[in-house]
Amino acid sequence: MQPSPPSSPPNPRPLKLARMEDSIDIVQATTGTSSIPSYRPDAKQRRYDRQLRLWASSGQRSLESARVLLVGCDATGCQGLKNLVLPGIQQFTILSSAITQPKDVATNFFLHPDSVGQPIAQEAVRLLSELNPSVEGAARVDDISTLLQSEPFFFTSFTLVIATNVDPDVELALADLLWQASSEVGGPDIPLIAIRNSGFCGRVEIQLREHCVVDTHPDTTHTLRIDQPFPALEKHARELDLDSMDSMEFSHVPWVVLLVRASCWWKDNHEGRYPGQDKADDERSAERTAFKALLKAQKRKGDEENYDEALSQAYRAWTPSTVPYELQQLLETENGALVTQNSKNLHILLQALKLFLTEPPHLPPISPTLPDMHSSTTSYVALQNLYKAQYRADLEKFKGYLAQTLSSLGLPVDAIPDDEIEGFVKNSGGVNVIKGRALRESKEVQGGVRALIADSFSEGNAPYEIYLPLHLAFLSAERFFSQEKRWPGTSQDGDMAEDSRKMAETVRHIIRDAAQGFSGEIGDLATNAIAEVARGGFGTLPTTAAFLGGLVGQEAIKLVTNQYNPLDNTCIVDLVQSGIEKFRF
Amino acid sequence: MSPTVNANGVGRSSPKAYLADEGRWESIDRVLDRRGPWTDEQFVGGRETKDVLRSKAKILVIGAGGLGCEILQNLALTGFSDIHVIDMDTIDISNLNRQFLFREADVGKSKAVTAAEFVMKRVPGAKVTPYHGKIQDHPPSFYLQFDIVIAGLDSISARRWINATLVQMVDEENPDSLKPLIDGGTEGFKGQARVILPTISSCYECSIDMLTPPTAFPICTIANTPRLPEHCIEWASVLEWPKVFKDKKLDTDDPDHIEWLYQQASARAAEFKIEGVTWALTQGVVKNIIPAIASTNAIIAASCCNEAFKLATTSAPSLNNYMMYVGNDSVYAYTFEHERRPECPVCGGESIIAEVGKDWTLEKLVDWLAARQDLQISRPSLAYSGGKPLYYQAPPQLHAATLKNLEKALPDLLIDGDEVVVTDPGLPFTLTVEIKYA
Repeated sequence: MQPSPPSSPPNPRPLKLARMEDSIDIVQATTGTSSIPSYRPDAKQRRYDRQLRLWASSGQRSLESARVLLVGCDATGCQGLKNLVLPGIQQFTILSSAITQPKDVATNFFLHPDSVGQPIAQEAVRLLSELNPSVEGAARVDDISTLLQSEPFFFTSFTLVIATNVDPDVELALADLLWQASSEVGGPDIPLIAIRNSGFCGRVEIQLREHCVVDTHPDTTHTLRIDQPFPALEKHARELDLDSMDSMEFSHVPWVVLLVRASCWWKDNHEGRYPGQDKADDERSAERTAFKALLKAQKRKGDEENYDEALSQAYRAWTPSTVPYELQQLLETENGALVTQNSKNLHILLQALKLFLTEPPHLPPISPTLPDMHSSTTSYVALQNLYKAQYRADLEKFKGYLAQTLSSLGLPVDAIPDDEIEGFVKNSGGVNVIKGRALRESKEVQGGVRALIADSFSEGNAPYEIYLPLHLAFLSAERFFSQEKRWPGTSQDGDMAEDSRKMAETVRHIIRDAAQGFSGEIGDLATNAIAEVARGGFGTLPTTAAFLGGLVGQEAIKLVTNQYNPLDNTCIVDLVQSGIEKFRF
Repeated sequence: MSPTVNANGVGRSSPKAYLADEGRWESIDRVLDRRGPWTDEQFVGGRETKDVLRSKAKILVIGAGGLGCEILQNLALTGFSDIHVIDMDTIDISNLNRQFLFREADVGKSKAVTAAEFVMKRVPGAKVTPYHGKIQDHPPSFYLQFDIVIAGLDSISARRWINATLVQMVDEENPDSLKPLIDGGTEGFKGQARVILPTISSCYECSIDMLTPPTAFPICTIANTPRLPEHCIEWASVLEWPKVFKDKKLDTDDPDHIEWLYQQASARAAEFKIEGVTWALTQGVVKNIIPAIASTNAIIAASCCNEAFKLATTSAPSLNNYMMYVGNDSVYAYTFEHERRPECPVCGGESIIAEVGKDWTLEKLVDWLAARQDLQISRPSLAYSGGKPLYYQAPPQLHAATLKNLEKALPDLLIDGDEVVVTDPGLPFTLTVEIKYA
């Protein structure tokens, strides 16, 4: 038997970032138009229909390969898991050594009075598993801190870890473990979502070492390039014979073509300048007015809608196409990063994009999408085809640079799947890389939180919103727990005053350490925040649990699908006033 | 936490023992036994407050869908024990990705009945009374029996109806006639929760102009110059279906009907070289499907129930009066007071004034009404204030009899200061419009 020709090794690279268009290519779909094949959804697609419309089959695939660990087993954590089991993650595990008590059952929908006396993790797994037959659930009845010592690999075998209301010292040890595990390029990047709640107040913290977003779902993905048309578009616009058109045809020329044509004419007659370019204020606006007048004068009857659209979009003629700001920032950050064989696909794609941008017009690839506009079918489809052709040309050019990048890294040319490359080229403005911070930094009041405290409390200042004071209240409660081995607001006699006083003392200490010229007065807001957090006694209100579980569900989905920008990194929830705020600590 | 054993010793406890154990409420009691810095002065706390919540309060949940399932769960766990739920729908397989009280075996059953049974089974002590039917079939006296109404609806017209009903029910002589309405809504990663105190705070109708108008494609685009796959699908459903099937009504829940539309739309798209018609898109366009996920429903329903809990216990101030949650780009929420609209046709006192030109026809007035963002009506019928029809969209006989009025000049029909009574299928009340000539 002939040995098969050497091919690239089985793809060792994670396919996590793969994306696929859900739309079926109509050309393929209608081959031999006599019978149109049906794409009626199967049972699974019907079950997931309402979510596939958000994250598509690519997101669903990522979700279906996600393994989620819940550390601690309270109402908040179970509500969060519910929101992941329903959309169909692959597997979840709950780790807790606790035995179910009536007070657990009373707040947690995924326990039953029958559960009392049984291991809480087993009971919750049983009732959560009912929600979706395609999701596997497992209970691990073990002590968290013992397991952290004896079996650290247990924790790093998951896609994502959620810790709810876990002992603060154990939570930090878990955070350290996951942060270290994610330190190597190409190693697992395991986000940690840590939740803390008391009464009406809650906090969600997300630790990510690095997180890639392959589709932020920006409002628009069009790259119209009115000011710098690609050659085929410019040719099409210039060669348009408006005079020979009947009124029907004339009033259905797409505004994109009208604007490109007018811009070309303007440049021809103004030393290659776009309207207002290199002019002082008054002359600039005079030129722009003249440009619009020129367009308006082309109208025949005055009611041509395509011209009205062109006039309302005229600003595009003097708004230079650029690399989108977020992408520029991202590329600058990427400059400092070392891209290796083990780098994630997005880093390699961005590396290739940098090479692509060295070539004129120094702009990202053209997207094949076009907004709807007043026009005839034929002129719209013709215009769309121009954009599609240019997209394909840019895609080929990009693939050339990508091949160059891959080979310089010693990777085979097919190391990144085609659909992922195409997705990137269609939507290069809609990607993001988030470099997160270690939870330890925030807990030790370094970095972002330190700067914010300094800013808010220095020289007689006081915060004017409740959110930073609530964060300080939670932070002081965690330090309280580490010392007293119980939560504030849980003393036997029900007295909160002494606990609150101790928390206030800790808050004062934290602020004094961070803020220059701090008056020593923590202020009314911080005093009230402490009182409200102590009042809750770190008990879980079912509504607070459900709110936080929903928030955590959304963030976990975003992290696992690599779609939509996730929270980075702290969110404070105040259900007294029904408000939330996010911070980057 | 070290493993502990419940008070009954190792093993399963009986439901009776569980229900007798008041200690199970520990987490909730912390905020009911103690006041916080923002707690209202009227807050009593302790036994009295718990009695109101756990024995006296009667609460109505409208909708047992995505929000409804979450709301029922939260209310039962929070301690409400007399919960009523109304929904006219039956369970579909596409509900199962978020409506977590239902299983595959429940497909086809009543949502209200199935949800009520499930919650009662899971949370002993909670009584949930289901009503399988339309909210419009219940008289005001039905709504009068509740202390709080929570709506988790996906229909604008149902929201307008319950809002108008609760506003009209308010009797100044009887403070019990004022029923707080808590309304939630979601779309994808976004949602909103609001508290409406009828006649006191801004009502649903006050904010009707915040709704984004539905995407409507001009009929000439659909018929003559399709450009998008959506245009081809609309052509199939709006123009081709009635042409081919005459009086047979399109059932957007029937996969065979969707299949037919998909085939037609695909063929038309191929003819015009338009790409992108898919089965899912066809279904999405004709059913106007809004993406929906469990987590967003969880956030909004939790917020609604948190407000119900606060209203019932006064343990914390209630939301004044609108919270928006946006989760598709990190996390963002905006809490604000939506102001009452003095000219709100439901809770405002003033009637709407139409400033019209002497050259207007009745048709122009009809178009002007239909285009008003703050009315959200599509097929207005008009009558003189005495009841005589001016222009009726239905029934056919009245439509035919009043059609000729459309082209008449307004001054031939109405004088300055005349009042016109407007009704519309989307409007749960009659609207009075005063005519003023410019």
